[in-house]
Formats: sequence, C-alpha cells, structure tokens
Amino acid sequence: MLDGLKDIIRKSSIHVCLVNTGGCNGCDIEVVALLSPRYDLEQYGIYVHNNPREADVLLITGAMAEQWKDKLQKIYAKTPEPKVVVAIGNCPLTGDVFNQEGSSVHAPVSDWIPVDAEVSGCPPRPSEILAAILAVGPDAIAARGRQKL
Amino acid sequence: MSSVIWYLYEFARKSWAENFAAAKSDKEIMDAPDRFRNFPEVHKEYCIACGACTAACPAPMAIKLVRDEDNAHEDGFTYPVINNRGCIRCGFCAEVCPTDPKTLTCGENHLIREDFTILPVDKKFVIDDYLCIRCKKCMKTCKVGDAIVEEDNKIVIDQSKCISCGECLKTCPVKGAIKGIHISNVEEQKEIINLVVNSLEAKIEAEQDKIKDIVGSDVYSFDISAVELIEDAKKILDDDELIDDIIENITDRLKLRVITWDKDKCTNCRLCVKECPSGAIKYTSEEGVVRNPDKCLRCSICYQTCPFGAIGYYISRFLYKRDEAEKIIHVTVKTSDLPVRS
Repeated sequence: MLDGLKDIIRKSSIHVCLVNTGGCNGCDIEVVALLSPRYDLEQYGIYVHNNPREADVLLITGAMAEQWKDKLQKIYAKTPEPKVVVAIGNCPLTGDVFNQEGSSVHAPVSDWIPVDAEVSGCPPRPSEILAAILAVGPDAIAARGRQKL
Repeated sequence: MSSVIWYLYEFARKSWAENFAAAKSDKEIMDAPDRFRNFPEVHKEYCIACGACTAACPAPMAIKLVRDEDNAHEDGFTYPVINNRGCIRCGFCAEVCPTDPKTLTCGENHLIREDFTILPVDKKFVIDDYLCIRCKKCMKTCKVGDAIVEEDNKIVIDQSKCISCGECLKTCPVKGAIKGIHISNVEEQKEIINLVVNSLEAKIEAEQDKIKDIVGSDVYSFDISAVELIEDAKKILDDDELIDDIIENITDRLKLRVITWDKDKCTNCRLCVKECPSGAIKYTSEEGVVRNPDKCLRCSICYQTCPFGAIGYYISRFLYKRDEAEKIIHVTVKTSDLPVRS
C-alpha cells in the first residue's frame, strides 16, 4: 500500500538536475527549449532544479572534460536514491567531435557513472529528449525505489 | 472572491481533469518536420568504397567503411556504416558522395552541384597557360567584363560568367593560347585525338630516311594531306566543325619526338640496350641491335648514350591549315637542342 502510493508520487513528480560536463552548450539549449510553453515539460510533472540533492534524474550533457572526472562522481553521490542518469547528445556517448586524437576528453560518461538511458543526436530534438525521459524516468524510478525499500 | 469562483470553474472542466490525469503534447509538436535532417541513410548497393564520406566526416567515431564477407556466388558489399551515437547529422557525407544515385542520402539541403553556364552552347573556351603570354588583350575585349580574370599570375576564364561569344579567340595574338573545346561527345573526341596522333606519328616514321639527313640548324618540312584523316575521323563522329577544331587544338600544342636509327653506323656495342628504361632495345646475334618503336618512350637516353652517332633525335611540330581548299597539316622537323656526343 505504502509502496504503491510512493510509486504514484514518484512517477508523477520527477525532479531533474542538468549537468554539463564540458560540451558546446547545444544540448542544454534544447533542454531549455523543453521548458518553454511549446513543449511544456512541467505538464508531465518534471521539474528542472539544477540541484543534485533534490534530483531524481541526472541529465548529463558534454564530453567529460579532465576536471569533471571526480566532480561528476561527487554529484552522482550527492543525488538521493533512487537515481536515474540520462545521457543527452552524442558527447556523453562517444565524445563526438571533441574526441579527437590528443584531446583531454574522457568520454563515454558510462566509464565514470552508471547510465540508464541514452539519447543520440547532436543535439537531439527536444521531443526526443522528452520521449527518453518519459520512457525511462517514471518506471525506472519506481523500480529503483522498490529495490531500496 | 470572483477569482475563487473562476478557479472552481476551471477545475470543474472535463478537459482540465483529462490533462491532469494524462498529460500529452500535441502530435504535431512531437513529430519532426519534413525539413529536419535526420541521420544519413545508406544504400549499400551503390557504394564504390572511395572513402570520401569517412574523410569528410567531422566526428571521429561516426562513420566507418565495412565489407561483407564473400560468399560462394559473389563478393561481399563494401559500404559505410553510420554510428548514430557519433553522427552529428551534418550531412557532409551525403554531400561528398560521388556515386549517382548517391549511396548516402541525408536531407535535401546539401546536394550541391557544380557551377555551369545555362546558355545553350556546345563550346567552352579555356586559356592554355603554357602558351599564354599574358598580354591581357582578351581581358580588354571580353564583352561580359569580368569573365576573364587574372588569378595567381594566370589569366583564366570564369566558366560561370563566360557566355561563349568567342571574341577573345579573335584578339588572341598567340595561336592556340585560347581554344574552344566541345563539351559533348567526350569519348568520341578522345578516339579522334588518338587517331590523329597515331597517324601523324606513322607518317613521320615513314619519312625517316629524309629526316636522317638533317644537319645542324636545318629544318626539314613537308605537308601531309588531312583529307584521309578527316574521312577516318568522320567514321567515329560525323561533325566537320568538331573534327576541324580537334585537329587544330592538337596540332597547336603537339610536339612529337622522333628517333632515327642508322644501321650502318651501329657497331653492336650494346651500350644502349642496358640504358633503355622501357626495354625497347633488344640484341640478337642474327639481327644485331633492334629498336621496337611500339615500346619506345622517345626519352632520348639511347641518343645520348650512343658513342657512334647511330641514333638521331628530332623534334617535329605541326600547323593545321584548315582554310585552304585541300586541308593539309604542315610538319616541320628539326634536330633537338640536346648536346651531341662527338
């Protein structure tokens, strides 16, 4: 009974923290477009907080610069359970155009923290990001929550 | 008070309850528009494995050429594979793909075609930089104004502006420096060029005995009738003006090198046999030293090697007289400027 109630609450209220680990900012702009009235992220009960301590979902963009190696792991540790990580754009997946020979890019992000969902594209369309968050977010959070309890 | 009533009214609406229970964005907002350039599509049967797409791709992990395994009946396909996790959807791979139809297609906005003139002309004018003396007379007479430009100390014709009027050709003081090239029937034109050059060479080889007598700065000249040549060329492509133009363009520029061989002076020392880079000179005990003209490169190394003067090296040039009643090619042969070993 309590689990069921928690599941419903968690599914309908997802708090998101956006982390840019050294990209071109293009994917972040697409996330901002998601917040606009056209896509209206908040009608799904998703809130962008930019505070890992309040977040259920970490949105990772960027290609993992040198300085982010330990800091990303710290942010991941600060996020309360249950936590879901969504990698947005090609940078966290392969390093994209930044992953040239001799560059200090430590992609993919999944080498450093566990990643639950990936959205490819450079940048992905806002609708693709929204679909990914909705597809993975509520159920994964509910499932994680049950595991923990 | 009225605001509370408005809130109650809003919450009582059915659409509000529906949106609250199951939020959904409109389909037209979620769908990608037609102009959206998505990941490239690969049609592997057209691929020629040139690798232009991999060279043009700005993302290091995005594109890779792979080859299918061969089976008993046919060879495996070679084709590019797009990694969606690396591709940035720029469309450069589709832009550079040289096959027709394209192996890679990606949106419509990157299909760039070469500049071309839309005028219905069959000739294109070009400047031969080797013969051009940079007098710039053509630039002054050009009717378009800026179709002939100076670029990097060379005079060039901008093909996107040229209207093919041919005025520059009339004012050019050097014969052959500006030439009109026919755009169509390129394969037939190549055949005619081969025919003309080969028959001219055969005609000169036939005159060997007279060429051998040239000494010092003497010039030996003779005329070849072009009628037969034109008849042969007409069998390939029946176009009088085109054939005349081709022969004129070739002869303006052509410089044939001639090697003569004086059997009487040859002492069979076989120095030239070793030096010949193409193996055209052979020695047999019955025939002595023999040169095979089909294999010969006319490089003149044998001429420079021979200590007895058995080999001669001459240069021939041509002038095509197309305006006379019987069309002739005037040939002049003279000794080369290379130093002679005594």
